Amino acid sequence: MANTRKSGRASKRTGAAKPVRADEVREAAVEFEQPAAPAAPPVPRRNAAFPLGVDYYPIDAEISSWDDWYDRDPDSDFAVFAAARMTLVRVFVSWKYLEQQVGQYDEEALQRFERLVAAARDHALQLIVTFFADDRFSELNDVPWGKRRDPRGDSYMIQREVSLVQRIVNRYRAEPAVFAWEMGNEAFLSGFTSAGELQGWAATMREAIREVDPDRPVLIGCDPETLFRASGVDARGAIDESEMALSHVTAPYQAYMAEGPMISGPATYLDSFLLRSARRDLPVLVDGAGVTSLDYSPAQEAAYIRTVLYSAIMNRGGGAMLRRFRDMDTERREPYFRDPYETLVGVADVDGVPKPSLAEVGRFARVAARLDMRRYTLAPERTGVLIPAERYDPPPSMAGLFDPRATLQAYISAKEAHLPVEVVREGDRLGELSVLVVPSAQRLLPGTWRELIAFVQGGGSLVASYGGGDADPAVRELFGVEFLGDYGRRSELTCRVAQPDVLGRLQAFDCVLDVPHFALLGGGGATVVATDTKGSPLVTLNSFGTGRAVYLAAPIERALAQGDAWASPPPVRAMLRTIYGAVARTAGAALPLTCDAPGVELALFSGEDDDILLLLNHAPEKLTAQMVTERPVATVADVRGGAAAEVAGTAFGVPLAPNGAAALRIRWS
Amino acid sequence: MSDQAPLRLYQALVDQDPAAAISVIESVRASGVSQARLFDVLFVPSMGVLGGAWASGEIDEIAFTQAAVVADQVTSFVTPPAANADTGVVVLIGCMHKDHHAVGKNVAAAALKEAGHRVLDLGVDVRPAEFLEKVEETGARIVIVSAEMLSAARDAGRVRDMLTSSGHTDVVILVTGGPFDADPELARSAGANGVIRGAESALRLVARVAEDRAGREDA
Amino acid sequence: MSADRSQQVVLAEGLARQEQISPAVAACHAALRLDARQPHAHALLAELMLAGDFYDEAIAAATQAIELDPGCAPAYLALGLAYDRRGGMWDQSILVWHELAEVVPDLVTAHVQLGEAFSLAAFDEEAIDSWRRALELDPTEARAMYNLAVAALKREGVPTALPGFRKAGELDPSQDELFFDLAHIGPLPRKLPDSAKVADDRDSRLHAAGVLARADDYFGAADLVRAILDETPDDADALALAAYMYLKQEAGNEAMACAVRAVMVDKTSVTGMYALGVAYAKRPGLNRHAARVFAALAKAVPHHPMPHVLLAESMMGLQRYSQAKAAYGHAVELDPACVRARFGLAAVLLTENRHAEAAWEIRRAAYYDTKRQGLFWELYDEYVEGGE
Repeated sequence: MANTRKSGRASKRTGAAKPVRADEVREAAVEFEQPAAPAAPPVPRRNAAFPLGVDYYPIDAEISSWDDWYDRDPDSDFAVFAAARMTLVRVFVSWKYLEQQVGQYDEEALQRFERLVAAARDHALQLIVTFFADDRFSELNDVPWGKRRDPRGDSYMIQREVSLVQRIVNRYRAEPAVFAWEMGNEAFLSGFTSAGELQGWAATMREAIREVDPDRPVLIGCDPETLFRASGVDARGAIDESEMALSHVTAPYQAYMAEGPMISGPATYLDSFLLRSARRDLPVLVDGAGVTSLDYSPAQEAAYIRTVLYSAIMNRGGGAMLRRFRDMDTERREPYFRDPYETLVGVADVDGVPKPSLAEVGRFARVAARLDMRRYTLAPERTGVLIPAERYDPPPSMAGLFDPRATLQAYISAKEAHLPVEVVREGDRLGELSVLVVPSAQRLLPGTWRELIAFVQGGGSLVASYGGGDADPAVRELFGVEFLGDYGRRSELTCRVAQPDVLGRLQAFDCVLDVPHFALLGGGGATVVATDTKGSPLVTLNSFGTGRAVYLAAPIERALAQGDAWASPPPVRAMLRTIYGAVARTAGAALPLTCDAPGVELALFSGEDDDILLLLNHAPEKLTAQMVTERPVATVADVRGGAAAEVAGTAFGVPLAPNGAAALRIRWS
Repeated sequence: MSDQAPLRLYQALVDQDPAAAISVIESVRASGVSQARLFDVLFVPSMGVLGGAWASGEIDEIAFTQAAVVADQVTSFVTPPAANADTGVVVLIGCMHKDHHAVGKNVAAAALKEAGHRVLDLGVDVRPAEFLEKVEETGARIVIVSAEMLSAARDAGRVRDMLTSSGHTDVVILVTGGPFDADPELARSAGANGVIRGAESALRLVARVAEDRAGREDA
Repeated sequence: MSADRSQQVVLAEGLARQEQISPAVAACHAALRLDARQPHAHALLAELMLAGDFYDEAIAAATQAIELDPGCAPAYLALGLAYDRRGGMWDQSILVWHELAEVVPDLVTAHVQLGEAFSLAAFDEEAIDSWRRALELDPTEARAMYNLAVAALKREGVPTALPGFRKAGELDPSQDELFFDLAHIGPLPRKLPDSAKVADDRDSRLHAAGVLARADDYFGAADLVRAILDETPDDADALALAAYMYLKQEAGNEAMACAVRAVMVDKTSVTGMYALGVAYAKRPGLNRHAARVFAALAKAVPHHPMPHVLLAESMMGLQRYSQAKAAYGHAVELDPACVRARFGLAAVLLTENRHAEAAWEIRRAAYYDTKRQGLFWELYDEYVEGGE
């Protein structure tokens, strides 16, 4: 930590912890890299396990034509990427420009592509080459000879696609400046109408690539959750064949899940939620990082980028790609054209001059470079939040609409309880999880109930909330409560604590909150921890086998998510995070430290000699997070170097700027 | 002030005698009660008496209404100063050349005016030469340059260059706008003395600059 | 014109009116499976999706309804609201509100929403014209007034805009609701009390006077208040009610006299505090006094959002923007649907150059205001009647 204090000492904790100096840890204020101590090994410029990159669009001006495809010399732009410590650049092939006549590949187009590859090579960058992308300005796939045939389903078109792909891959199969081949982007892939159709097309393309290049990663450029929302197509089968998955907050998905200011509230958790939900057995590249509208000031754009980058590395991201390099140069019509399709806003202005958000990327890269993933391991996630299978049910089922929001809310509550948390889908293996949260599900598959019973019987902890309708008979066995019916909708949620300190320090409250259902529960052996004002059980705890099962009598996660997510009642949110936190702590699934600020996300990377703690402030207000550790801390230092601050106790404070982050190296006593 | 003053004012009100009411107020003021306190120590108690008299039936509805009319006539004598006194501090404010985003500038200018500063609003799309021209014309020593666009923020240094080249090295330049919030280096490269982050920040910074100047002048 | 409704649609309607979203959606889908060309069913589905904040689904359903019947006014309403609540679609929104204003020319909300869409597009003059048009149609349209106050703030700053916020606040029924909450006067009964027949005990008179005052029968209420004061001149509650009625009749000094007296005789009188604070707030130069009184009121009734709003407005007048923000924030925390607090918060955010968040607060205000209005069912019922 860059300690410039004369004393160089942090106080022992007696009451409120004394903050470590703001300039020691305030991420946004540090402009220059701290010189490493003389004996320290050289610091890498980048984190190889967490590459950063940017989408480099072929056209940056609305007045440009399709044949202006990458007609600008990319060298100076690529130099900017390298200076910002990026590794990856996504480029988009124009089928239309390359194959203007059937079977004839345009020499000028190939030369322009070669220029991109050369620029990447010169600046030690690597390309992700996207073959079939929809970009409403570049007309990339509108081959003039296509005669409106469907590029996704027409066999002749697919045959031509295979030829194009093999032509490019063959030419660059030994090229180190190519990182991966990507079959299509989300806009193109959302044109498929069924999972089978997509999977078939993807298999053909993959086979075509593999015939020529057996090694390089082949990607499908979509997030399974957002693509399903956009098109109803489940791409998971196709993605499972890839070497890497992507997560991507699209503008429509943002509007569905977290419509509101992007630098506070649920919007700041959405990227990592999708990252977690896309993470099956594959590394996940966080794609499309950046704001989706021009409403935000440069400071807010930078704050959002910071949030996305930090939350990506804190949640096992495999790297991050920025949404766009340059702002789109639009027609000068009044007041200015705002883009509903998320392609306009970049990290540089129309002239390519970097915005503060690009400087933010450089600052983040400096921090990430110090986080050697070979030496440090992220604390394991022993808590999972379940996305029910009913999420895939078509209308008129409302579960497909309600469940993702409820799950996001549960994920946020777990984060507010500072738990390392994973997102799992019904049917996935529960693996190493000790705690499972099933938020507001209306219906689980019968097999899932059997699994849950076995999970709790075997020592797992389960937190589930009533989601409406009839309760499964397993509820009685597992939760020790008798389901007597649904009270129905209520506009207030009240809580009276019957058993203090059984599930953390729950507090009584009376809150205005539209709760769609409330289960009438009778006794069945469970301990009633809290009730509503009339004594009807609200929270119960049951010991079952060697595990514990907590039941919430109302779909509280859904109620919070469907209410005003930016102004939800603090006591209800506190109740959820208190319950989640208490259950996880008892199950040994919590971090070995606590933090008094729910809006600060924590990630602890354990090393042999020291640990690294990342903190991210999800609020646009500054604060000092008071940390209390289970074992005494000797020193705390900024990972970028500088002198360490002595703590010699179990408490220290970390000042965080609005939407700020800190990366601290902790040495234990 | 005499304890009877509120009663005397009350009497003047029910007597529908504004002249007497004014006379009471003036006498209280002459006794050393400041304008800022007249309302609390004189007017409010007398209104309480008036309300009590109406409630008890001592005066009827018509007398109550008429007394209220007289109270209205003399209100300006007891109202605390509406705006802060003129500070004498001249502040020039304008949006940088090619920048038309005026909201932040307008809000800050209004707040500074309300606080008693002499604000000269140059509007939007102001060239550096115009800032210089107005500094020379008004003798202003505080200039606020607003820029919401990055390109305009990058150009803000031209104002400092222009002032320095004309010998106005003692002018304090404060900058405001989203780009400056995002990147402190932009403000430094613009030669700014501070960054204003909204109206309250404008009030605070200008007050501090004015105090510093006053301190230096006193010394 | 509108087509006849099927039995399934009627069933869906009933469920939707009871806010039983899931069964109502299922009923709509059942209706559409039998006949996909029923604009009523699509419009209902749009409203149900809107109720769940599923904007893309609402847009799709409303668009279907309009395609089937371009005269389907409730579908236009749902479509416009879905665009506005979803954000980032102001250009489409402007077209829809224009259309709706043509289909239902006297629909005030269409003009208010149109103004907000114009404002988001930075067409400020057109926005102001729309809000003025809304006020011509309904001079008590508070949200149009709030928006005009925000427009004034953007041009001329807080000091000029603040009276507009207060004026809008007076049009907004929430401020009166605060007084009656404090006075323990509930919603108006179906039959109002006859002042001549009220029992002659103090409590009956006071309650009846409060009910009559709530019904704007100030003569009847004043008679009862007078009767109470004739027996007990120092009845703080009666004095406060008198002050409230004077305030409503723009008699500021009479109100102040009664309110001061009420607080003099009972320092804990919350209705007295309310009336005194409002009387102060109405006068220029008394923001400090108003703030003092509203701070005491907020402390006395901490769980009511409106005293925090009133306190915040006084803080705005004193240029203490961060304190105003905290008070507005507290009010929103207590009641996210408090339109006045949302607009106030937007104003403070504008003083901090946080334009996107200010725009969000205004959109949230519209969200809650339009939810409260329940206009869909008015238009839907008219649409149904038009088809029969």
